[in-house]
Amino acid sequence: MSSDDILLTVEDLSVVYEPDGADPTFAVENVSFELRRGEFVGLVGESGSGKSTLGFALTRLSKPPARISHGTILFDGTDIASIDAEHLREQRQGGFAMVLQSGMNALNPVRTIRNHFFDVFTAHGHVSRERREERARELIGKVELPAATLDRFPGELSGGMRQRVSIALALSLEPQLMVFDEPTTALDVLVQHAVMNTIRDLQASEGFTAVLISHDLGIVLEATERVLVMHEGVIVEDGPSSEILNAPTADYTRMLLSHYADPRAEVVSLPGFEDRAIRRQAGASRSAVASPEHAPTVVTRSISTAQESIVVEHVSKTYPPPRRGEQPVRAVRDVSFTLEPGQSLALVGQSGSGKSTIAKMITGVEKPSEGSIRFGGLDVAKLRRGQLRDLHRNVQMVFQDPYAALNPLHTVEYTLTRPVVNFTGLKGRDARQRVLELLETVGLAPVEQFAAKLPHELSGGQRQRVVIARALACDPQVIIADEPVSMLDVSLRAGVLALLEDLREKWGVSLLYITHDLLSARLITGNIMVLHDGAVVERGETAEVLQRPTDDYTVALLEAVPNPQRTRR
Amino acid sequence: MTYALRKVGLLILTLWAAITLNFFLPRLMPGSPTDAAIAKLSQNGPVTAATRKAIEIQLGVPDGNLLSQYGQYLKQVLTLDFGVSYTFYPQPVADLVGQALPYTLILVGFVTIVAFVLGTLLGVLAAWKRGTWLDALPTLGGSFASAFPYFWTALLLLFFLGYVFKIFPTSGAYGVTNVPGFSGAFIGSALNHAVLPAVTILITSLGGWILGMRNTMISTLGDDYVTFAEANGLKPHTVAIRYAARNAILPNLTSFGLALGGVVGGSVLVETVFGYPGIGYLLLKAVTNQDYPLMQALFLMITVSVLLANFIVDILYGVLDPRTRK
Repeated sequence: MSSDDILLTVEDLSVVYEPDGADPTFAVENVSFELRRGEFVGLVGESGSGKSTLGFALTRLSKPPARISHGTILFDGTDIASIDAEHLREQRQGGFAMVLQSGMNALNPVRTIRNHFFDVFTAHGHVSRERREERARELIGKVELPAATLDRFPGELSGGMRQRVSIALALSLEPQLMVFDEPTTALDVLVQHAVMNTIRDLQASEGFTAVLISHDLGIVLEATERVLVMHEGVIVEDGPSSEILNAPTADYTRMLLSHYADPRAEVVSLPGFEDRAIRRQAGASRSAVASPEHAPTVVTRSISTAQESIVVEHVSKTYPPPRRGEQPVRAVRDVSFTLEPGQSLALVGQSGSGKSTIAKMITGVEKPSEGSIRFGGLDVAKLRRGQLRDLHRNVQMVFQDPYAALNPLHTVEYTLTRPVVNFTGLKGRDARQRVLELLETVGLAPVEQFAAKLPHELSGGQRQRVVIARALACDPQVIIADEPVSMLDVSLRAGVLALLEDLREKWGVSLLYITHDLLSARLITGNIMVLHDGAVVERGETAEVLQRPTDDYTVALLEAVPNPQRTRR
Repeated sequence: MTYALRKVGLLILTLWAAITLNFFLPRLMPGSPTDAAIAKLSQNGPVTAATRKAIEIQLGVPDGNLLSQYGQYLKQVLTLDFGVSYTFYPQPVADLVGQALPYTLILVGFVTIVAFVLGTLLGVLAAWKRGTWLDALPTLGGSFASAFPYFWTALLLLFFLGYVFKIFPTSGAYGVTNVPGFSGAFIGSALNHAVLPAVTILITSLGGWILGMRNTMISTLGDDYVTFAEANGLKPHTVAIRYAARNAILPNLTSFGLALGGVVGGSVLVETVFGYPGIGYLLLKAVTNQDYPLMQALFLMITVSVLLANFIVDILYGVLDPRTRK
């Protein structure tokens, strides 16, 4: 290829983080690569791999404490790693643009969408005053939004619409290079799919060079023609997508790939789940074999096998209208199901489908508008304070965000001691013994060390294990897990999922698993209910439903699962 | 528009509630002004029922049941008839308040607005130039100055600028030889008298506004829409003013509303130290002399001004933040 084809040359680039009062760390180390004009390249890695830091460096948006410490970024012949601020600003028009991960917050809440466009036009003067309205309409049309969107404020748009607006704004710079930093991570599954399609279409029609940064190898392999895999600040693999998919050379890439599977397959297996898949296929015997990596040693546990069912009968939940003159919101419509003791049930659907509302009603946080929810002899909707305590002793939640679910000021031991003391009546040495047992159950060994740690010293997966241990502290019969792995890196997900399954199989805890991720539902649940707009559209055995879906919505959800193996384009 | 109408409705409702409370609360207190006067008189000998009646008439103690008194009171409030002051007998309360109010509004109100505007601008600058001397100077200086107790700063200024160097007068709102009115001499003298109290208020309140604005602005500077605006190559001053500062000022408006509402009631200390004949000075006199009609009128004024200030800020919020307009 001739040198004219090269748009960007990165040579020996290092980015260092220099926080006040802490040792500097290199987030990106001696990275070199080239981008050809019109290429669509994926940049993949898990959290902390340095992929976003690299993306910010490419567009010269690195802010303190991050600093480009070494290397050059030749963009169209100019080293943008070293040019001054005003020159850099001018370069952005017709140069390089960035779409941020949280497109929801990338727009100024007090300015209309039209003004956002006009700000860009004014800053660079590349669109004349007379033409700017026309140009704004044209751009907003390119991302498949109606022209009326221009009159809106960001707060009046949905997450997907806001991300489309950011893409249109980035496009208004007429850039040669566009960097998309996790453009769909904060969005709903189905919306994600649609926004990714828009990005792919735009890249094809506008012909800009694109870098797609993502933690999701599935999404990247589906969209791009070349992939860079990053691990601990270094590019460990660089090659065409098909080669990375079929013949990955780096161990790390292989590991990432191994965590993808098609939820529709006959046998679904992930690392740590191999024997389970076979067992489930063979008719699901109850003799549990824990995977070796976190096999709990023999622990004397007092946990009571679940005896009570959760019975949900004709439950509906209607919220008052969000604004005057609008229709009331029917979050849940006439849902009935029974969660038998020791059973596992998945509630799947995109956000707004009512799955979390159901969880809130079961835990007594919200009251159903119609219908009844019973746990054993308790009518959940009519509980008073003392009875709610009984309910919470038996029904515990595991939340989505392990980073927000733990008080950063308390040690793991303190966090776990509270529920132990409050619910089981154990004190002093016995309580501590129980805390250590809990840590062992969730596979956080050596337990003494983990007990003394603060949340920030733990990885996301370890934090989620602590959250699960906290839920177990009062010997619950039922665990309700609301998207427990969606915030975790793929390599950590399997471990947490396996733990949830172990708990059910070994201790007989019932599991209500709420997710949009069909693969994980397939792995750890026996039964499934698909929710759409608050109503159940399909239900049955998980394997059966996912392999032979009958409802269009279930099919759409399955189609939206990123899958590297699927034929591309 | 519906937003503004709703706020007006709410204002009327809260005003009514405040006026009503102002009527009933004093009546819930044990004792009455008449009892207090009779208690004093009875030290000198027995008091006859006729004397009691005479005192009641003199004080204007109303007849009839509570409800008709309440109706009477509402009518008086609407016609700004607050009765006669005990301390400055027989001057009507309305006249006293009317004389004092302009001084307080002009001095404290104006200075509060200046402090807010100046402090906010300095805060924006400090945050934008974070880590430079433009940040360090206002931030450190502001917090240093506002760390002094208010009266101490006042006394220092009085001592040096008023007593030692005799640049500014030490008390009052205008010179003894001036007659209030729209004459050049009077206005000049009034301004000269206002300098020391104004500077004192400015010095002690400026730091708070600087720090408040700087800190919220630093957090908005880290927001994604600022990063995105930079990624789109907007000019630095656009990013600083229209994106960062424009959003950062919103939470500070609430404190501004509180400060504005406190203008009428919170000026006691200033006006006492400087012998300034405003509302605060009047309130102090009313309280020390148990001047019930005056007190009641002043308390009502303070409540109403807090409500009005909050109303103004609510409306401003509606204009500045589309998210509140729902």
